[in-house]
Amino acid sequence: MISGTGLTKQYGGIPVLNQVTVSCNSGEICGLLGANGAGKTTLFKILLGLVTPDAGTLSIVSSSVKSVGGIIEKPALYDYLSAADNLRIFSSIQGLSTHKHTIHMHLERVGLPVDRKDPVANFSMGMKQRLGIAIALLNNPACLILDEPFTGLDPMGVVALRQLIRDLTNQYQLAVFLSSHMLDDLNKLCSRLYVLNKGRIIREGDTQAIMNACTRQYLITGNHIATSHAIRDLPHTIIGNTADIQLLPSELTHLLVALQKENIQVTACIPQPDLVQLFEGGAA
Amino acid sequence: MKRLIVAELFKLAKQRKTYYALASIFIIEGIILLSAYFEGTNIINLLLDNLRKSFYFQGSLLNGNLLQYLVLNTLWFHIPLIIMIVVSGMLTAEYKDKTIQAVMLQPIKKWQWILSKYVVAVIFTIGVVVLLYVTSYWLCTGIFGEGDLVVYLEGLNFFPAKEAAYRIRWAFIAGSVSMMFFAVSSLTIAVLLKDVTTTWIVCCLFLIICNLLLKIDLGNTWLNQYAFVKLNDTWQYFFQFTIPYQTILINWWVLVGYILFMAAAGIFVFNKRDIG
Repeated sequence: MISGTGLTKQYGGIPVLNQVTVSCNSGEICGLLGANGAGKTTLFKILLGLVTPDAGTLSIVSSSVKSVGGIIEKPALYDYLSAADNLRIFSSIQGLSTHKHTIHMHLERVGLPVDRKDPVANFSMGMKQRLGIAIALLNNPACLILDEPFTGLDPMGVVALRQLIRDLTNQYQLAVFLSSHMLDDLNKLCSRLYVLNKGRIIREGDTQAIMNACTRQYLITGNHIATSHAIRDLPHTIIGNTADIQLLPSELTHLLVALQKENIQVTACIPQPDLVQLFEGGAA
Repeated sequence: MKRLIVAELFKLAKQRKTYYALASIFIIEGIILLSAYFEGTNIINLLLDNLRKSFYFQGSLLNGNLLQYLVLNTLWFHIPLIIMIVVSGMLTAEYKDKTIQAVMLQPIKKWQWILSKYVVAVIFTIGVVVLLYVTSYWLCTGIFGEGDLVVYLEGLNFFPAKEAAYRIRWAFIAGSVSMMFFAVSSLTIAVLLKDVTTTWIVCCLFLIICNLLLKIDLGNTWLNQYAFVKLNDTWQYFFQFTIPYQTILINWWVLVGYILFMAAAGIFVFNKRDIG
């Protein structure tokens, strides 16, 4: 488990973090959402021990010599070395085995090929992320911190990395803390969510509950939805077979039942959280 | 600590820029030899025409010892500059690629990691100077043969071939201490500045200022004797008619003190700072 209490940091007199308290338990994936400049990276650097907070305490429950591993912003690798040599370097400096089989095991754990001998400069961003995670997991830390892990990945890469994070969390009972400004990524992966704005936590709790609290709009796709009577009284716009409808989460079930009664086959229902409300706070 | 040093040596050996640096040293060496081969005899004859009438010189004056002495003179600027670029790059590249963050996330001590870089900087410097000595010896004596050495240092000094070889060997050893000072200083500059280009510029400036101040009277006996800028020509003392061994020894110890101070300052600052 990792937790930070009352974390505060200023750079040149400008507050970057203000009394931030966060925690993440073993086997849990927590998300940190915030716009650019909200303080996500600074918070993660503090949790990783790279930056000393001006105030506040940090607690990590771990029996490992390395309590926390992570990636900040993008995987930092020696581009001129192969994946195996990168793992060899990072293993050797902390006294871990650099035997060929061990290195192969680390590569296979994150789904990387063991036969690539070329420098990682040739790797795709997805492969670099995987290698970065393999390095972060050396010495079996209890916590894994990933700052914007999906940045620069193609959709297939995002799905694959999401699955890898899920698998590793379950397999090793890691406490995983990850940040993003992409709602969808966090919504699909995190059980708990913190929203950071201008260095303060403005929302925290169950991811779905936070999303619902900020959702006043849904995209509903169905055949002949434009002819529906049920949506006629609700503020909406129609684009093809999709209706962009404004309604409260509590009214959604009622609308879906009504659409079913009208024999409209709903094929998708995507909540559209109010980003301003979610990122900047205000009444939910 | 040993593991960190081996890892740093491995990284240095795997980087292309290390080989570019070594290649550039050989290119400089090659240019010196080529220009000596094509132009050297005429220049030497012109300079020493009068002296030839009064003295007997054994062998050709354009010989391996003279050329090794000319190669030795690259220790003023060329070699320290190349060493400073490579050594400072060992740290600034880690900042640029943010690998320093990945390293600092592993269970290692900050001061041990940066100390390992200083140790590797010294090893690399010794390696470069040894390589310079060995290659210049083979090439210079191989192509131009052995002979007496004539050096202009506060007047013309002549050394028989064997004595010249001895003096050149010790000048390389003394020069390696000066090169270590520049290498360690460049790493400390990298600790302070972090940025690649800024560090290169400041390293160049540092080297130029050191060379300029070496020639300038600092107006104080102690400064003129023991300021670090005044100690980097100690290798030249081996070409004075009588080698001032005691002065050389004192200079070495003082310079070693400066090297240790520079390294300690870099380690202290690095250890204090956040890896942000």
